[in-house]
Amino acid sequence: MAKITRDDLIKIDEYTYEIPKKYRSDMLVPARVFMKESMIEDIIEDRSLDQLVNVATLPGIQKYAFAMPDIHQGYGFPIGGVAAMAIEHGGVISPGGIGYDINCGVRLLVANMNHEQLQPYMATLATALFHAVPSGVGRGGKLKLTLGELDKVLGDGAKHMIDIGYGTPQDLEFCEEHGTMAGADPDLVSEHAKKRGADQLGTLGSGNHFLEVQKVEEIYDEKTAQAFGLTQGAITVMIHCGSRGLGHQTCTDYVRTLMDYLPQWGYVLPDRELVCAPFTSKPAQDYFAAMIAASNFAWANRHLIAHWVREAFHEVVGKDAWLSLVYDVSHNIGKKERHMIDGKMIEVIMHRKGATRAFGPHTPQTPLRYQSVGQPVLIPGTMGTASYVLAGTAEGMDIAFGSSCHGAGRRMSRMKAKHTIRGSQLRKELESHGIIVRCDSDAGLAEEAPIAYKDVDSVVDVVHGAGLARKIARLVPVAVIKGG
Amino acid sequence: MKDFELVSHTADLKIRVYGQTLEALFRNAVIGMFQSISPKSEGCQVKDDRLVCSQLPVQHEIKATGPDPEALLVNFLSQILYVSDVNNEAYLDAMIAEFTDRFVKATVRGVKINGFDVEIKAVTYHDLHIEQKNGVWQTDIVFDI
Repeated sequence: MAKITRDDLIKIDEYTYEIPKKYRSDMLVPARVFMKESMIEDIIEDRSLDQLVNVATLPGIQKYAFAMPDIHQGYGFPIGGVAAMAIEHGGVISPGGIGYDINCGVRLLVANMNHEQLQPYMATLATALFHAVPSGVGRGGKLKLTLGELDKVLGDGAKHMIDIGYGTPQDLEFCEEHGTMAGADPDLVSEHAKKRGADQLGTLGSGNHFLEVQKVEEIYDEKTAQAFGLTQGAITVMIHCGSRGLGHQTCTDYVRTLMDYLPQWGYVLPDRELVCAPFTSKPAQDYFAAMIAASNFAWANRHLIAHWVREAFHEVVGKDAWLSLVYDVSHNIGKKERHMIDGKMIEVIMHRKGATRAFGPHTPQTPLRYQSVGQPVLIPGTMGTASYVLAGTAEGMDIAFGSSCHGAGRRMSRMKAKHTIRGSQLRKELESHGIIVRCDSDAGLAEEAPIAYKDVDSVVDVVHGAGLARKIARLVPVAVIKGG
Repeated sequence: MKDFELVSHTADLKIRVYGQTLEALFRNAVIGMFQSISPKSEGCQVKDDRLVCSQLPVQHEIKATGPDPEALLVNFLSQILYVSDVNNEAYLDAMIAEFTDRFVKATVRGVKINGFDVEIKAVTYHDLHIEQKNGVWQTDIVFDI
């Protein structure tokens, strides 16, 4: 199959490029990529745009197959992909378009003490956080659940964690879906998935997942930052992880189930990983109810980790230290949403895979306190650079269904990163910049080196420039805690 | 002949697996899946980027079905991944006992581990095409990590 080149791209404006529908006969809609000229070389190097064209062939897709500026090659969908399928028009749901790490996402907390006040405790705090939050491959959590208790987590997500004494009820207000997405059916999550997840609640996992203590370095919009509780010099804690083995197995199970039904629906797919089902069909409804249950597990997971983080702050800094939840977003999820498309309000099944919801002001899904400014959008960067807090915009709702990027986006394979960068050297470099590192694997550290990622500042500039979301604050790492 | 090799992929883990027969391809896929994520196990040694153990004391019988060889391979490896995850084990060999295009029964043998360098979340269908080239069976496999 031909690979997309620069000549196949039509420039719409400074930040938007289009691959027209005529590029391939099976495309149902054009594909649009948010990027700027200087990013094109990197983006066309792998097969991510070909994967985006594949997404444009899926039944029921509306307007465009979108890619955010952190786009990179995945499996099936590209990472950074957004696609809305009209439910009433045979629109499909594709588990591969949501990903194996169902509801991988980001939670941001802000401390009631600033960098200057907390700096003397930082090294001790980093060590305490490393011990408080299990990370790395195969490390189980501190909370072992029976299958009955696990079903409650799958049904009620973060709300159940509050019921059993973790966190505060206010936390739920500042989570996408209030940390408890309706429609879960724990019975549709397999025994295998439950066994993989039973001892993993409250664990980070490995790969690009991390826990970071950060400092608010720059504020771009005082009023919005104030609404989010962010001030210059404030200390924040960012948690990036998902649904662990429970989500991975749930996606695996339903890819398999839907594959069995594929002949009956007669779809001709350019990549089997795009396996999908009409959203209204029973197999699709079963997958959706299981996906919601796995999403609830992920919200409970980040909620429990936040609880351990608060405990570590109490232990090291004292009882006066408190962390308030700014927001918790998902960047691998399928949602039923209503969007204005060609003058009509249409219900869609929205796929965001490596993309973050970025709803604008005055949307019912946005917390009351943020109604006038829009939903916080959390963009984790790399451990040596920066992360961002953005806010959703009204125009973003029309441009790309209220969606934004989800991170910096990889540009170098993990294999190449490991061969290019020595973890021990990187650790020293980070520490020479005042960043405390707690990671027991040099190889794991090297794989996630800043050089392996696109420039997060450029990615966020495109999101801001294209009007998808507004820049509110830039956060820089103070302490990085991650699994190997 | 190589049993498998790593292939570059921006975000995930991709391996190319070879076999003189389909059965050998399936066996080498198991070896490739585990050796490419650097298992760590006390009492074993690392030689040429591979874990070498004098004994493989743990074993499990694995059965999988699938409508075609590609689906069969994904289902087979997914089943092994699940067993590995819940038991904290890595499998460095597989003996295929029964094999058709739609069914495989095998015994995987391995060791208890302290962890891997990389966590495989799932086995994907992306770029998975089992084909014979110059008399050798081969396929790429992309793992979500």
